[in-house]
Amino acid sequence: MRRFNGVFSRGARKLIFVMALGVSVNAVADQETVRSEGEALFVEKCAMCHRAMGMGTWQLEQRYSKEQAWLENRESLPPAFVKHVVRNGLGIMFSISRAEVSDSQLELIADYLGKEAQ
Amino acid sequence: MQTPSNTASIKPDVLALALADFASVVGAEWVLRTEQDKSHYQDFFAVHPEQHQPAAAVAPATTEEVQEVVRIANRHKIPLWTTGRGKNFGYGSAAPVMSGCVILDLTRMKKIDFDADSGIVVVEPGVSFYDLYDYIENNNLPYWLSVPGNSWGSVLGNALERGVGYTPYGDHAEHIHGLEVVLPDGDLVRTGMGAMADSPLWHLHPHGFGPNWDSMFVQSNLGVVTRMGLWLMPAPESVISLTMELDQPEDLGWTIDTLAPLRREGLIQQSPTIGNWLRAIAVKSVRSDWYDKPGPFPAEVVERVKRENNIGWWSAGIRFYGRESVTRASADIVRKAFEKQGRTQVKERAWLAGQPRPPVPSFGVPITFALKNAGWYGGRGGHVSFSPVLPQSGAAALEQLKRTWRRYDEYGIDFHPGFNLGQRHLTNINQIMFDRDDADMCNRVDHLFKALVADAAELRYGEYRAHISYMDLIQDTFDFNDHALRRLNETVKNAMDPNGILSPGKNGIWPATFPRGTY
Repeated sequence: MRRFNGVFSRGARKLIFVMALGVSVNAVADQETVRSEGEALFVEKCAMCHRAMGMGTWQLEQRYSKEQAWLENRESLPPAFVKHVVRNGLGIMFSISRAEVSDSQLELIADYLGKEAQ
Repeated sequence: MQTPSNTASIKPDVLALALADFASVVGAEWVLRTEQDKSHYQDFFAVHPEQHQPAAAVAPATTEEVQEVVRIANRHKIPLWTTGRGKNFGYGSAAPVMSGCVILDLTRMKKIDFDADSGIVVVEPGVSFYDLYDYIENNNLPYWLSVPGNSWGSVLGNALERGVGYTPYGDHAEHIHGLEVVLPDGDLVRTGMGAMADSPLWHLHPHGFGPNWDSMFVQSNLGVVTRMGLWLMPAPESVISLTMELDQPEDLGWTIDTLAPLRREGLIQQSPTIGNWLRAIAVKSVRSDWYDKPGPFPAEVVERVKRENNIGWWSAGIRFYGRESVTRASADIVRKAFEKQGRTQVKERAWLAGQPRPPVPSFGVPITFALKNAGWYGGRGGHVSFSPVLPQSGAAALEQLKRTWRRYDEYGIDFHPGFNLGQRHLTNINQIMFDRDDADMCNRVDHLFKALVADAAELRYGEYRAHISYMDLIQDTFDFNDHALRRLNETVKNAMDPNGILSPGKNGIWPATFPRGTY
């Protein structure tokens, strides 16, 4: 009986976005592009809404260009603002508990979006 | 509006003692008690924001910790409200029916155990559809998920709430085989063949020896499920997805009567979904993009929506999965049945193994964009679903459609109906979208929902699932022999959970210690 107990990442979500733009890459190569712990956490905790086919991306497209609706492309996203929105919610975005994203994880995600992602 | 909700009267010093005891088991970091912490466990889509308030939350990481938390709750008589990942949007999120409960948040329990030979996964409550999808993809496992329209939530929690998806494995509760459950006294049980220690048969055989208790823990407050075996669909060789664009509301009747015999026969193996034009545009636009006045959309605006989106009044989705020769033959039979009726635009999307999978739920790919419809009216949005079960008949569906539509118009809410064909029934899922910042609209939504439940009950139709604010209302409609089923549920509840500590009021099942409506 083959059993798997393994790690997972959400790198493939990026692949789908890239496909949507009409560019083809393979999933493995894409996963190798995860550059930091902050990005890995963003992928695990946030990408379901803030990458391809996500509620956040679709909602933000109402207010921003397609590129800027993608949080990781946003020109200005101060870490303090990210942390505030995660803990308090904004518009139709739900707030996120410390059980789901701990304070230390949130620091890394906020730093990733604030400094690295663009 | 209703008066503020039922609240458990737990003395602050008793709660403080219990929280300290919880912290000794899970660690202080995982007892969440600040005002901000508590806000995360409110119902994000509440029409009664003052109701359903948690007292705190505790987030264990293991089954053993859950057992200990349950024992402590018994000792202090603290009611718990169990949640997997708290993403049950439209049905109450993570919030309790009864204010004053401590949320038992299982989101940290994320183990995945996969039997690749049999196509069975065993998940803990914190595993989301995304977690499991990535796990399967990263390990190149030849299985597909059935995912719901919002895939952010818990695989285990969704199945236990009788959530649905789009593939032949879309009745998620039907594919639960074997549970591990912490009972209300902290004892641990495994159902089915799992009752035999270390049996390799636990999740293979759908039953056990004697009664099968899996269903006892579905839409229930009789235990805390910590592990669930779920059968998965082998990755298909091909998929054909047909979308029938149906021009008029009345086309619903013959569409259902065309599909129903094919569904019963087994030619159609998944649950076809039929949704109206609003379903298509609410996830990708807002109301003011189309119409800026109150009241129902005028006919010419509806026609513009249809024309600009190349859709009908209804879009009906029927999908076939499996060997290419079989999916092609099956799809052609359905296509011909619709072509006989005329006036139908048939769209087809065919996929073969090896091609990139379209990133949509019918191809087993999780999404969250469907939640965007909460923003339809602007403001901080929300939605609830009114979802009665109907006989699988076009006439019954049309009658229910007209009655429901009149109610939506009466209360000034945009009509968002949908119908899913089960094996022998219809589920009529009506989204009620609203703006939480508009108190008048919230009030109208509340009254609309109650009117719809009463209308359905007159015809003896009941709902398959409900928001926490309406669980009692709906349980009341299950009234055979003076609510004999509720009496049975509560007899079992009181026998298993004499302190009434597990999710009081869940699905209208109340323990003697917290009787309904008396707080």
